[in-house]
Amino acid sequence: MIPVRCFTCGKVVSVAWEEFRQRRDAGEDPGKILDDLGLERYCCRRMLLTHKEIIEDIIPYQ
Amino acid sequence: MEVTFSQLDDTVARFVLSEATHAFANTLRRAMISEVPTLAIENVRIYGNTSALFDEMLAHRLGLIPLKTDLSVHAPVDSCACGGEGCPGCTVIYTLSVEGPRTVYSGDLIPQDPEAVPVHDNIPVVKLVEGQKLVLEAQAVINKGKEHVKWQPTVACGYKNYPVITTSEECDGCGMCVEECPRGILAVDSGAVSVLDGRLADCSMCRLCEQACLSGGIGEEPGIRIAADETRFIFVVESDGSLPPSEIIKHALLYVKDKSHDLVGVLTEISGGIADEEGS
Ligand code: SF4
Ligand code: SF4
Ligand SMILES: [Zn+2]
Ligand SMILES: [Zn+2]
Repeated sequence: MIPVRCFTCGKVVSVAWEEFRQRRDAGEDPGKILDDLGLERYCCRRMLLTHKEIIEDIIPYQ
Repeated sequence: MEVTFSQLDDTVARFVLSEATHAFANTLRRAMISEVPTLAIENVRIYGNTSALFDEMLAHRLGLIPLKTDLSVHAPVDSCACGGEGCPGCTVIYTLSVEGPRTVYSGDLIPQDPEAVPVHDNIPVVKLVEGQKLVLEAQAVINKGKEHVKWQPTVACGYKNYPVITTSEECDGCGMCVEECPRGILAVDSGAVSVLDGRLADCSMCRLCEQACLSGGIGEEPGIRIAADETRFIFVVESDGSLPPSEIIKHALLYVKDKSHDLVGVLTEISGGIADEEGS
């Protein structure tokens, strides 16, 4: 799951994840999406840029 | 001391603090970060969790959800009339009960006090698939950022000195500093460099302009000089939404005031009244 907040500054970045993922998968430029979502600091931007959702991979091993 | 706001809304405050010292600016910053109380989930009782995340992980994620705080209603647990046992005056109970398949969001937390809702209702907590279920009760308490970051009302909260940019006679208007400036606040105007109107505060004091000027072979002294005004500070206070920035600033200032009074009191006590006379 996407971390609730940015590790560095504490901004709640998880609320932007769903939209970021959808728009990125649709081929939009990630930098532009982050600008639109109001994530201006690079600490918050890396939270979304470097996130890989693995919860679906873990679920079968419950 | 003087404060001029350039922005003040529900999430961000930007202001300039003038005629102050570094010590005071830093005291205010630290008070805003670690001494203003907010609500955050502290205890979680898990009745059922068949999700892919461990109970501890869930409790941790719940703790980081910012909650709307009204400091006139809730008091810190240790100073509450109930004596730390937990009562509606110092704690808020939330219940959550979700069955998969769907994602659990912060909005699924049902507060006992309708005012103390999560700031965002779309923070994903955990994803559930068919057959998975999450049932829990969470207890939020008021505490301070010095105890744990989840009680910090601020996210980015800091200050910098007000920049002072001076240009000298040496400047021949070659424009090399203009190209170098990462903030784009410089311009060459009739043969000399100057700062664009209203952009001075954007200077990051990186001094790349000075270096660019020197590397142009101007000599020992660059045509542009960057200095810091040691008595003026540009503050940015960003709130996580639990309290508006104006409240955060107000409570931090009250805290500093109280502490100063305490200090005077202690000094008076140990000096036998001399400090009081001098302090007043
Ligand atoms: S110090 Fe940096 S930001 Fe400020 S004017 Fe010079 S190059 Fe621009
Ligand atoms: S300050 Fe230096 S680099 Fe900038 S325009 Fe003047 S001479 Fe050129
Ligand atoms: Zn950040
Ligand atoms: Zn109580």
